[in-house]
Amino acid sequence: MSDSLSRNTFLRLAGGAAMLLLTKTFARSAENEVTSEMILADPETPIGGNPNGDLTIVDFFDYNCPFCKKSAVHLERLVKTDGKIKLIYRDWPILTETSIVGAQLALAARYQGKYLDVHHALMGIPGYGISREQMIDAVRKSNIDLPRLDADLQGNADAIRGLIKRNLTIAEAIGLQGTPGFLVGPYKVNEALTYEGFQHVVADARTRQRK
Amino acid sequence: MAYARAFRFVTMFLLALWLVPAGAAGPKPADQVFRLSVTLGEDEELDLNWAIDPGYYLYREKITASLAGKPLKLTTERGDVKDDPNFGPTEVYHHEASAYIEAVPAKGRLLVTFQGCGENTICYPPVTKAIDLETLAVSDATGKVERAGDSPGAVEASSSIGTAAPAAGGDASGLDSSYVYTLLTFLGFGLLLAFTPCTFPMLPILSGMLTRSAGRLSPARGFVLSASYVLAMAGAYGVLGIFAAWFGGNLQASLQTPLAVTLMSAMFVVLALSMFGFYELQLPQSLNARLLPDSGRSGSIAGAALLGFASALVVGPCVTPPLAAALVYIAQTGNTLRGSSALFALGLGMGLPLLLLGTFGATMLPKSGPWLIRVKQVSGVVLIGVAIWMMSRILALPLIASSWGLFAAGTGAWLAMIAFKRSKPVWHLRQLPIAAASCGFVIYGLLLAGGALGGWYEPLQPLAWAAIVPPPGTWHEGEDGFQIVTNEADLDAAIAAGRAEGRRTLVDFSASWCTECRLMERTVLADENVRLRLDSMQLIRADVTRNDAQSRSIMQRFAVVGPPTLIFLNREGKEVEDARTVGTTAVDDFLARIAAAERG
Repeated sequence: MSDSLSRNTFLRLAGGAAMLLLTKTFARSAENEVTSEMILADPETPIGGNPNGDLTIVDFFDYNCPFCKKSAVHLERLVKTDGKIKLIYRDWPILTETSIVGAQLALAARYQGKYLDVHHALMGIPGYGISREQMIDAVRKSNIDLPRLDADLQGNADAIRGLIKRNLTIAEAIGLQGTPGFLVGPYKVNEALTYEGFQHVVADARTRQRK
Repeated sequence: MAYARAFRFVTMFLLALWLVPAGAAGPKPADQVFRLSVTLGEDEELDLNWAIDPGYYLYREKITASLAGKPLKLTTERGDVKDDPNFGPTEVYHHEASAYIEAVPAKGRLLVTFQGCGENTICYPPVTKAIDLETLAVSDATGKVERAGDSPGAVEASSSIGTAAPAAGGDASGLDSSYVYTLLTFLGFGLLLAFTPCTFPMLPILSGMLTRSAGRLSPARGFVLSASYVLAMAGAYGVLGIFAAWFGGNLQASLQTPLAVTLMSAMFVVLALSMFGFYELQLPQSLNARLLPDSGRSGSIAGAALLGFASALVVGPCVTPPLAAALVYIAQTGNTLRGSSALFALGLGMGLPLLLLGTFGATMLPKSGPWLIRVKQVSGVVLIGVAIWMMSRILALPLIASSWGLFAAGTGAWLAMIAFKRSKPVWHLRQLPIAAASCGFVIYGLLLAGGALGGWYEPLQPLAWAAIVPPPGTWHEGEDGFQIVTNEADLDAAIAAGRAEGRRTLVDFSASWCTECRLMERTVLADENVRLRLDSMQLIRADVTRNDAQSRSIMQRFAVVGPPTLIFLNREGKEVEDARTVGTTAVDDFLARIAAAERG
């Protein structure tokens, strides 16, 4: 009895907490030169899920953020199950120096069409204090052409740096305090969610969009 | 089984209530969660201390310091061990962290960096603070200064006029971020309130309940009964605290509307009349039977608890001025857990003397008899007086004077009834004082009421001296002279007009439902000396009665929590911060603030 009580309570609390943490986002375009187009239609951001989905989720994360990694599992599962969500990945390396290394590696892999492989490999390293060597090691183990990665890193350094800078600007403009941060349709959620949490937010966002 | 399900539901409900305000605001910024303070230690080392909100933690190894670009040696304490799958065991700090740096120079700008996360929720980027080694002031590395001890919800204290416990109003300013300190303050608050006439009526209620279980009343039983009474009362306040945090600023507004005040006064009159024996206030028969299954025992714990809860709701509003201050503070911080537990402490404080009475008085209380009836009648009289006092905040002066007149005359008549109830007209010496008092009251009452009819308010002087009615200066009708605005555009225009004429400006944030504002207008703002000094200023009244988006925008402009608030602007249109007045204040204090405004 007490076991089922605690699990049910936890799930309900988690779902409830997720719902209660929705905040409407207003991209203050005039002041910060950040427009919703910039957020949602940037040609260089990696896209996952269904590119023609009716609901867009923008995911701000850091490869050194343990809670991003935990909630990423739930988010990916929901995107797969739902089938109509467009997921925009915005690498947001703010926690420590190696975060930037990870972001650069993943974004460089985009040029050979392997962003998601590297992204999942890096998100698969649990915990927070990931060293540069650990990251490169994880990348090596994923199915990637390493010499090509090196070349793309050097050759597209400016574009990669530009995108990371844009991500930083946007995150600050919409007022994210830390990682992870999600834009689910019109809603901003600035904390890690469970699977049910994501479900609730998505449902609410869709209801909102229909109005 | 059903009990378990109900318990679960109630817990969920309460938890949901607590989550609402926290969630609705979004995540807390790192600055709010990790609060750094700096002191100089005994051996001239720099002591760094972080206060960490529950549910958040700081990484030990991420705490670093540097001076002029060079890293400094910083000694940190052992932390709690957290298993990071990458690093292995990592040390983190919960609740608080401390570190020290030895041999710091006397001058310079020291930079401290730290980083932390909220458990399972969010990870913050590194935070860097700059410490001025001369003043030990902590600021953002970009140069924004924050004062030590600045708590986001601190409400400016207002010395209130006319309340029976003026010290209670001052206590509101001492509420800072430390949780335990807040609870203790509210407990003391409640204890002070216990000695106001407002809580007096609870005495006969409680003793009535205790003596009904006469014969079987041991100190232990008396303690148990009064404890359940007090705990239920404190619980009622706790619930009020939850609502205060939930509804925010609107609560103060609704408590001050004439309707609310009238309802509360009516409740007091009803209670008073029951004291006089016109009827008995009892629980309906069905509830009575359910709570008192044992027909022999007339004092059950559940009954005591119910009575406690009810008295809190009835008596609580009487202490509105200090309670409203506390509620506004809680509403501002929005922290439901703190709010409800602080008010719970307040209720406990208010009930402590009752607890003592219940335990020790139990053995001393005689069975229900003339003593108890007398106590009930006295408290009935006091209750009516309190009801009139509450209404005086919204009634016109003639009505106030005549109400007090009737009250005094009535008291005199009652005293006469007590003294001369024996049908035999035998005059004893000991009846003399009561007879004299009775005559005195009746004469005074007639003077008051008669004077009110004729527009002569001098008999109010003793009451004014006791701060029960507004002072003499306000007994005449006067010209107000304030220009009224309700939206931002008009407000700006009025301020601009004042600037163009080279005047200072006074902006009075007021509302028709704000009884404190009425009090201020009738007492302080109508005082001759104050009017003289205000004569040269541009007077604007920002009317926020509607409390709609426009009202909120003008309040936000000047960071006003709610009326009454008076703001002074200098000749250039900038606010003179020292002169700002929140809540009611006395004439002398306001004159001092005008002086400050004239200097600024």
